[in-house]
Amino acid sequence: MKRGLLAPAGSVEPLLGNEAIARGAVEAGVDVTAAYPGTPSTEIGEALAEAARELGFYFEWSANEKVAVEVAAAAAWSGLRSMCFMKHVGVNVASDALFTLAYAGVVGGMVVVSADDPHAHSSQNEQDNRYYAVSMSLPMLEPSNPQEAKDLTVRAFDLSERYSVPFLVRSTTRVSHVRAPVRLGEVRARRGKGDFRPPEPDRYLQVGAIARKHHAELLEKLERIEAEAAGEFARVEGEGEFGIVTSGVGYLYALEAVKLLGVEVKVLKLGMTHPLPERILSEFLEGVERVLVVEELEPFLEDRVRAVAKDANPELEVLGKRSGHLPRVGEYNAEVVVRALAEGLGESPPVDFEGLRRRASEVLERLPPRPPVLCPACPHRATGYAMKRALGSRPVYLNDIGCYALLFQKPFELAHVTHAMGSSMGFASGIDVATDRIPVVLIGDSTFFHAGIPALINAIHQKRRVIVAVLDNRITAMTGHQPHPGVPRRATGEEATPIDIERLVRGLGVDFVRVVDPYDFKETERAFREAEKHGGVAVVVCRRECALLTAARVRRERGRIVPYRVDPERCTYCRVCIMTYACPAFVDAGDRVERDPAVGFGCGSCVPVCPYGAIVPSEGAVDWRRDGYGV
Amino acid sequence: MGSEFNLIVAGVGGQGILFTSRVITRAALMEGKNFIQSEVHGLSQRYGSIRTEIRIGDDVFSPLIVPGTLDLLMALEPIEGARCAEYVSRRTSVIINTHLIPPIGAAVAGIRVPSLEEVVDALRLMGPKSLITVPATELAKEVGDPMVTNVVMLGAAEGIGVMPFEEGTLLRALEEVSPERYRELNVRAFEAGRRYTRESTE
Repeated sequence: MKRGLLAPAGSVEPLLGNEAIARGAVEAGVDVTAAYPGTPSTEIGEALAEAARELGFYFEWSANEKVAVEVAAAAAWSGLRSMCFMKHVGVNVASDALFTLAYAGVVGGMVVVSADDPHAHSSQNEQDNRYYAVSMSLPMLEPSNPQEAKDLTVRAFDLSERYSVPFLVRSTTRVSHVRAPVRLGEVRARRGKGDFRPPEPDRYLQVGAIARKHHAELLEKLERIEAEAAGEFARVEGEGEFGIVTSGVGYLYALEAVKLLGVEVKVLKLGMTHPLPERILSEFLEGVERVLVVEELEPFLEDRVRAVAKDANPELEVLGKRSGHLPRVGEYNAEVVVRALAEGLGESPPVDFEGLRRRASEVLERLPPRPPVLCPACPHRATGYAMKRALGSRPVYLNDIGCYALLFQKPFELAHVTHAMGSSMGFASGIDVATDRIPVVLIGDSTFFHAGIPALINAIHQKRRVIVAVLDNRITAMTGHQPHPGVPRRATGEEATPIDIERLVRGLGVDFVRVVDPYDFKETERAFREAEKHGGVAVVVCRRECALLTAARVRRERGRIVPYRVDPERCTYCRVCIMTYACPAFVDAGDRVERDPAVGFGCGSCVPVCPYGAIVPSEGAVDWRRDGYGV
Repeated sequence: MGSEFNLIVAGVGGQGILFTSRVITRAALMEGKNFIQSEVHGLSQRYGSIRTEIRIGDDVFSPLIVPGTLDLLMALEPIEGARCAEYVSRRTSVIINTHLIPPIGAAVAGIRVPSLEEVVDALRLMGPKSLITVPATELAKEVGDPMVTNVVMLGAAEGIGVMPFEEGTLLRALEEVSPERYRELNVRAFEAGRRYTRESTE
């Protein structure tokens, strides 16, 4: 019997929220799925890729989110069920296509998942994508846990098809990255091939009068959805004069808070948060005297509660962000909610949080921080080392979205800016226009394909002077190794046509193009020095496979990884290795440097860093560069 | 709150924290127990601070544990264990791997890294029910590979007798979740950890 994602109907499996969303799509008979990876949405794709290999439906890692939406939309127009998914900021990229897709509508059911990241655990901002549902006029479901993530995804497909409009499913980090038992349902048959037959001749022609007609139709659909479907996802639990209105993971924190305080309250749990079931909300608000609105990020529900209460119950006291009971920044947890609930009820918190925190701070102040670091053997560290030596602090460093953004840290400090996918390239042109400093772009291969190319074309066309370092580790690394257009295989294992970065760049008219192995410090340094002397756009492709992939290959081929070590006779404790290369395997032992054998990947890249030749291979160690690993 | 069991697995990225958690939740499922677990994915695959929070019980709702309500802290790395201080209270059993991994950022910034003893003493300030150190990385090397440090710690947790499972369930879950080629090694690592804590708590 199969376990996990593809286990039979009726079985209970421990699924991640994201895996549950993928299972929901499979149960709904999805035919076409597409996405660009991004935390916290990526595992939906990992699960779909696995399921697609087994079941034969289509999955692709697309070049970016907008392309993914377009691939999925065209499939839905052709009568198939389709899904795409992205992290919150991915919706910004896809939004141009999505806004108008709402007007166009769909034939087959189509679901668009937005995985938001309150707390910006792995993101550049904390945007609340529920407002997209309002401004796009798209219906939206918000699951609270993995079981709901699956169930609501299935329902989203059915309703999307019934109302011929794409449905948004909005998740957050603590829904997507939570694992819990999920009872699986039947997998419905797929449709296989579709047929492109627009329901009306002007269905997909969004211009002027046609667009206005479709806009009016869309608003009508939303009214019908509110009247006919929104109530299905709302439920009232408990009794009392104190109410809680909540959705998403906020619901779980609210339940925990109620349990901790042992109080009786009345809870309205909402599953469809756009359009809101206003009649149900209105009735609920009439029946309570005070209400706490529990939702992460913006006061999306709270403002609607306040608006509805004006008619339904003008005396109602609404507690939430606007009243200062709950924050708009960061993610919630049961503590945040129990404190707000206790305050609202005039009770004291069930745990002495202050005392606990005071004692814990005595422990925490003795601990060194451990921020995220580049892995041992990471080629980006080598690129950063050579770049810093070649260019120093002269340039403005425009960094981008990827592991290499960690080069902002000491000792590298190669990021004045890290902003949005591909933005490094556009900012570089602006810096060149506005200042006398040389702009240096650090952009990963996947990010280059995602959003770097139009801005590169612009820089070339406008005759800007820019150094572009493409940190090409042959994979989308930060999200866990998804293929991108430069990789010769698809997500589901078939052969793909790899796009050759140097040929592409040369084809655009760049005459300074170098390809280097970043482990070759001398060559990499030379390439950057010459790039600085070059007048126009100079491209240096720093190419070496992600070290995690290489380390896995070494382990596979050689049975184990043999570490390097520091020869204590030669080490003078000058600390040059720590202060310029900062590999996590270096240990400052107080009077000498050691290498932790449980940490190192045995790559040998740090050997030339030591001025005294103290870093030496242990018996049987591999030299990745000399022995041909990773290039 | 007697019917709930709250557990944190803490360490640095690359130590197999997600795998360890998967074994525990598989064991819960084998015994038909409800659970909710939150984990961290994304940025910093290796050597960042990582933890998963697991809650087992009929009415556990929040995927994040409430401070002061932890039942078991499994620290695969001491500093990262101590970083969970606010969760530790009189109800908490603590097991700590003795292999300390100093953060490279501390060396670069010239921040002093405390010794194992200092870290353990600091965590004792929270007044845990019990605290035991386990040379898990050493034991892992003895059974064949430091990579199975996490599995030694899993066995060590079983050995102190606080896991909310029947004897043997955790080991069966481990066998089920382990890839074929690591199964035997994992079982040996588990047994080494279990033996260590059983002998030292006797």
